[in-house]
Amino acid sequence: MWNPYVPLGASQRRTLSLVGVVSVLISWSLLSGLGLVGPAKLPAPWDVGGALVRLSWDVGRGESPLLIATLWSTSRVLVAGMLVIVIGVPAGVAMGASPKIDAIFSPLIDPFRSAPIVAVLPILVMWLGIGELMKITFLFLGAVVYLVPMVRDAVRSVPHTYFTSARDLGATELEAVRLSLLPMAMPRIADAITVAVSVMWTYITVAEYINAERGLGQLIQNARRFSAMDQVFAGIFVIIALALITYSAMVALRRRVFHWETT
Amino acid sequence: MTVSIHLDDIVQEYPRPGGGLNRVIDELTLHIDAPEIVMLLGPSGCGKSTLLRMMGGMRPYGVQTPTSGSVSIDGEPCLGPHDDTVMVFQQYANRPDLTVRSNISFPFRLGLWRRRVPVAEQRRRVDRILEAVGLADKAELRPWQLSGGQNQRVALARALVLKPRILLMDEPFGALDAQTREEMQALLVELFQENPCAVVFVTHDVTEALLLADRVVVLSAGPAKVVDDFLIPEARPRSHAWQRSTATLALEERILGHLHASGGPGQVRVTV
Repeated sequence: MWNPYVPLGASQRRTLSLVGVVSVLISWSLLSGLGLVGPAKLPAPWDVGGALVRLSWDVGRGESPLLIATLWSTSRVLVAGMLVIVIGVPAGVAMGASPKIDAIFSPLIDPFRSAPIVAVLPILVMWLGIGELMKITFLFLGAVVYLVPMVRDAVRSVPHTYFTSARDLGATELEAVRLSLLPMAMPRIADAITVAVSVMWTYITVAEYINAERGLGQLIQNARRFSAMDQVFAGIFVIIALALITYSAMVALRRRVFHWETT
Repeated sequence: MTVSIHLDDIVQEYPRPGGGLNRVIDELTLHIDAPEIVMLLGPSGCGKSTLLRMMGGMRPYGVQTPTSGSVSIDGEPCLGPHDDTVMVFQQYANRPDLTVRSNISFPFRLGLWRRRVPVAEQRRRVDRILEAVGLADKAELRPWQLSGGQNQRVALARALVLKPRILLMDEPFGALDAQTREEMQALLVELFQENPCAVVFVTHDVTEALLLADRVVVLSAGPAKVVDDFLIPEARPRSHAWQRSTATLALEERILGHLHASGGPGQVRVTV
């Protein structure tokens, strides 16, 4: 009988997930293998695999284009991620702890969650040029507008008894925020950071399309220019894989550090 | 340890939602001049908690507290939160992210107590109180691994580790099962004897009041006034025989009589 609260066994879960992926792969193979869709539009899975192998090692140049591109993209996400955490988390905490600060900044931040951040890109190019500064700023802006409101809500959702009881014990306002609200909000702040990083992986290609010099976005952009659809697909898969790895690592880390929160 | 809490002619009025004023406390005077356990009884909603928070110097937002009258601690007018009181509530607010030990030593992370109590003394006190409340073997567990009674012990320990001169307790054992409540009452008596201070304990449990009190203060409802105030000289811990004696039952009747007479809507509990 159907009951949403009964957890699925690990093996059953894995099997069902595998069924989903495999059936897509089969349909895809049939579509391209039977020639229903041309390779210019949809490369066959094995062609994408081949492209992955070729990108992994360029015999002519004696280097791995995929690895280099991955390192570039990863470092950009890393740098922007650090900035998002260092600036966004304190801002969100301040907004969550003080309705006045929230009143000042939320009209400046909240609307951008639904604003087309990609449309801001040309402006950034005009202001900051086409170099690293523009790319990092773009990633930062794209992610920080998600992070700050989430951090704020994380702080706000801490039951007020923890704040009051700290105050009753003689905590100053700042101590009550730093020693009670912040630690209690940490698991949800960690969730916010996970979302922010995921968002950055979705924006990385856009950032790297401009002045495509290095990075996975450039790799995809170049492949598209030469109509090498297999390489476009390969690039996309690599980004998805990277995002997935980052995501699972962060979720695992959160579960480890904040194990008290699971109850 | 000397301590004095003087409430003089306290009047508390709250604005009614529809306009006008609701007088919850009316010219109430109460003096506490010694380390003793004062049990504060009264129908619910009679302003016991408001009174307790006044002694702790905690003021609700947007309402002047008290409307008139004065609260003074050791002769000094009490105008805001002060450091001599610690409050224990029914909701224990133990932190799920901290171990039992860290929950108890939490106040020592605050500047106020860090300055007052040297580090070595802090450690000694925490170890000592862990023993006293019987949680020494659970020091590294977290609150969600404990029962409700054990959690309330953590909250009590967190208050007592500060050796407060005034301990304000707002129905702290109200949510516990009967057996755990008895254990906690015995523990409070034990800890009080070790470190006497002024305990003001709000309850609606008549049995609890008679078991713990040096002094019983009964309030009436709407508005609150002191309708009875008497001492119980019997030494603690008090035996079951004493609790069932005619004299004690008479005291129980006396309190119940007041509570019924004041006609408040609240419930009164007598544990048998």
